[in-house]
Amino acid sequence: MTLSYYLALSGLLFTIGLFGVLTRRNVIGILMSIELMLNAANINFVAFNRFLYPGQYAGQLNAIFIITLAAAEVVVGLALVMAIYKNIKSVYVEDYNILKG
Amino acid sequence: MTETIIFYMLTAVILLSALGVVLLPGLMHSALCLGLCLAGVAGIFASLGSDFVFAAQILVYVGGIAVLILFVVLLAGSASDKIVRQVNDQWLPSLLICAAFFWAFLKITGYFSGIPAAAAPSPSVRAIAALMLGDYAVPFELISVVLLASMTGAVLFGRRKAQ
Repeated sequence: MTLSYYLALSGLLFTIGLFGVLTRRNVIGILMSIELMLNAANINFVAFNRFLYPGQYAGQLNAIFIITLAAAEVVVGLALVMAIYKNIKSVYVEDYNILKG
Repeated sequence: MTETIIFYMLTAVILLSALGVVLLPGLMHSALCLGLCLAGVAGIFASLGSDFVFAAQILVYVGGIAVLILFVVLLAGSASDKIVRQVNDQWLPSLLICAAFFWAFLKITGYFSGIPAAAAPSPSVRAIAALMLGDYAVPFELISVVLLASMTGAVLFGRRKAQ
């Protein structure tokens, strides 16, 4: 197992998440795809830490920070989705045009 | 040899369940696939020898975020979601953009080919704790402020309007 296998895995995972962000109509589906992209970045952090900097732990610490920020992001995002859903009764992003003047 | 087999099994689980997250029409199935995919990523962390990130991934992602998304899917779904189309018309440009990104990732991956692991992984919890309370104390405290702010914001958005 070399570093490039893990990088290829994380690249594929990021690409799948990007495709989901670009094509999903459902806002909760878009949030889930963003989680996939964040996980791909985390795999990169931990793999680089393991293969290039053994004995140091800053990469793993950054992965933990990203996990925490992803938790904060998904909490605020889902609270916003529920607040919007209470108003316009839709989860599809084409209907989210109430800011239009 | 065992490491290779484990890596390919985890890769198959991660990529297939990620495709399920993106492509399945039912949002409930997508959320369940997301939980499976996050658990597979946790397995990758374990095979990379980072035990604390593995535990944090299981606790926060699989136990927290996936369950939270499942609850929102249950709350915000409607019966018509099963028959409404779940993807937009732009799948071909999206596919081209993704292909360009993946080509760039593969080129970058080529620079790092053939780097083997230096040594067997060792437990990292003690070293991470020393970093968190030492060099990285300010980001650590900032993260807790961000968590507190997001929790307050979620309560603010989620509460009923005062009459």
